[in-house]
Amino acid sequence: MIVRQARVIPIVLVVMTLGTLLVRPLTGPIEAQSDRRVIVLGIDGMDYRLLSQFIAEGRLPNFERLASAGSLSPLETTMPPLSPVAWSTFITGMDPGGHGIYDFLHRDPLTAEPLESIYQVSPPGRSFSLGSWVVPLSGGGVVAQRKGTAFWELLEDAGVDTTVFRMPVNFPPVESSGRSFSGMGTPDILGTHGTFTFYTDYPPDNMNDLTGGTVQLVDVVDNHVSGRLTGPPNTFRRFPRNDALLRPATTEVEYENPDLTVDFSVHVDVEAGAAKFIVQDTEFILNEGEWSDWISVNFEAVPFLIHVGASARFYLQDISPDFKLYVTPLQIDPAKPVLPVSTPDDWSAEITDSIGRFYTQELPEDTKAYQEGIFSGREFWEQSQFVYREQRLALDHMLESFDDGLLFFYFSSVDQGAHMLFHYMDPDHPIHEEDELLSTGIRTLYEEMDGVLGQLLEFIEQDDRETTLMVMSDHGFSPFYWGVNLNSWLLEKGYATLRDPSRQGQTPLFLNVDWERTTAYAVGLQGLYVNLQGREGHGIVPPSEYEQVLDRLETDLLAMRDERTGQSPVRLVFRPRDEWQGADPATAPDIIVGYDWGYRTSWDSPLGQFPRDIFVDNDETWSGDHSIDYRLVPGVFLSNRQIMIDNPTLSDLTVTVLEEFGVAPLPEMIGKDALE
Amino acid sequence: MFGSKVKIDKALLEKATKYSQIAGYSSTEEFINNALEKEIAKLEGADSEDEIKKRLKGLGYIS
Repeated sequence: MIVRQARVIPIVLVVMTLGTLLVRPLTGPIEAQSDRRVIVLGIDGMDYRLLSQFIAEGRLPNFERLASAGSLSPLETTMPPLSPVAWSTFITGMDPGGHGIYDFLHRDPLTAEPLESIYQVSPPGRSFSLGSWVVPLSGGGVVAQRKGTAFWELLEDAGVDTTVFRMPVNFPPVESSGRSFSGMGTPDILGTHGTFTFYTDYPPDNMNDLTGGTVQLVDVVDNHVSGRLTGPPNTFRRFPRNDALLRPATTEVEYENPDLTVDFSVHVDVEAGAAKFIVQDTEFILNEGEWSDWISVNFEAVPFLIHVGASARFYLQDISPDFKLYVTPLQIDPAKPVLPVSTPDDWSAEITDSIGRFYTQELPEDTKAYQEGIFSGREFWEQSQFVYREQRLALDHMLESFDDGLLFFYFSSVDQGAHMLFHYMDPDHPIHEEDELLSTGIRTLYEEMDGVLGQLLEFIEQDDRETTLMVMSDHGFSPFYWGVNLNSWLLEKGYATLRDPSRQGQTPLFLNVDWERTTAYAVGLQGLYVNLQGREGHGIVPPSEYEQVLDRLETDLLAMRDERTGQSPVRLVFRPRDEWQGADPATAPDIIVGYDWGYRTSWDSPLGQFPRDIFVDNDETWSGDHSIDYRLVPGVFLSNRQIMIDNPTLSDLTVTVLEEFGVAPLPEMIGKDALE
Repeated sequence: MFGSKVKIDKALLEKATKYSQIAGYSSTEEFINNALEKEIAKLEGADSEDEIKKRLKGLGYIS
């Protein structure tokens, strides 16, 4: 396996000086067929069963045409069938043991603390202080965690032009002589998965428990509202922490960085049902229920010297009787990105020049705003359609400039819509409801992809040159009816012990766990870890007993029974070290739990909580999921050429793309060419 | 049991006894132990805990 030095990029405010150190041995034939054309349409979460159903119903004429003239197959996904894992396999052609992405969340073996799997933040380096100002000498950084070589790097080495738009798990984007734009894993300006802000004079009940967003209480005084956009901490300034007085005088003073902020004002006209907004130099008017275009925001970190650009859209929900304003997560502004989201760096601005500003955040559909009740289902739909239309505009732009080589283009709408609209489609879902628009929402999303496919087929047919078209997804979908509190189950079975049982369910992040009497714990969506001596910070299981513990866990997991439904929630116990080559012994889970149809891990278990009930109904609008037994949720693979192998996998597609250009895959790529 | 003796204001101890019963703790010692743990956690690790939760909970799959 080739291990490449990860690209390190500085945190938001640090000047981007840490370049990439990439050393790649020459591999494969250099005489690639660089005049060939290959288009790969990546549709996150497109499900084989639903696609087949909608084709059979005559809803997807272009998919039907492609399947008839070419081929259609289910596509085996990874275990676990999670997007970061599956897309990493497509990118590198390796199984998770090779690329090192095992879940959305990993864990620190010393503390069991959950960690981001796609990237990790390293601590700031040296700096010197001048009063309250701090000048960094070396910055902290964001380090991509995926190992392996992206297939488009091999293509570029062989002289093939590549355009890769919104590829997941490509943040920071790998150094590339081609054009690429980062996808899933790209944070908002706060460094989060996306944090919206809701301004209101009528606080929602869940104000203090809101996830994925914050509520700012405002007052409407004389038809005027003052609001504040909060950016990232200003790492150029520092002040003593507020709680410094609580610490003994001998303790070294601790500092904190103040947040960057931009104030804005709103003048409301209740009778007209409209409001005028002033955000720095930008003024605009919105009616109730109307969205603004992208608004540029300029945070000043050091006066006249350093600014942090961001962009946001404003949605005026209501003026009266209550003032309600939603502002999108602050985006890395594609016109002047403060973090590298594209290669070359200026490609982001070039796209913006052509199609205007757009979402740069990883998965822009605001599922949290809907889940938390800030959006209605219809509002979520409307916002999701903004995202879809932006991606269509971007596709138009890519096709205009695509001549030969590789074009990969990614859509997120099917995945995000299936997560949030499943209960409208599925009459068996615990929170099923009817809605004229949303009950067919998922089907509409597939129909929109059919339109995209039609555009691509027309584009291909307009040119005499041969073009290979591949349509693929990373996984399928299942309903999410019931959650399993896996840590609570471990507790009941005696694998885990709490220091204070009376506080069960009250503390996250394993804070109440008695590690001296805990043999296994769960982190993330499907990972389960043995508290192994020599690996875990408080490990108690001797290596000699490791396999016995795994055997016992497997037996008990498969025997798990939900008495409420009479079903066995666990269908597959997957042991990565038996299935993968090269799994990191320190970080890979010991077991990946494959839930049955309708089940999933609970909402609380992934971050180390132990709720009192093991099985819970899912009453959240996040009603569809796929973090189950991978065999139940295959993705899709279509091509205008014949698929020649049985049961194609994601790693086969990597090799297939390379072979289309006559480029040899790397030895660690485990797939095979799938097309004739 | 505490490993070492700690002096505590009598009125405060009475309050702690009263509220430990209301809150359902098995003993006043257990209540005081928990209260101290909470405060220490705030000073030692609450920031990082909040930060982790804040960052990760934006992920749609967890709440």
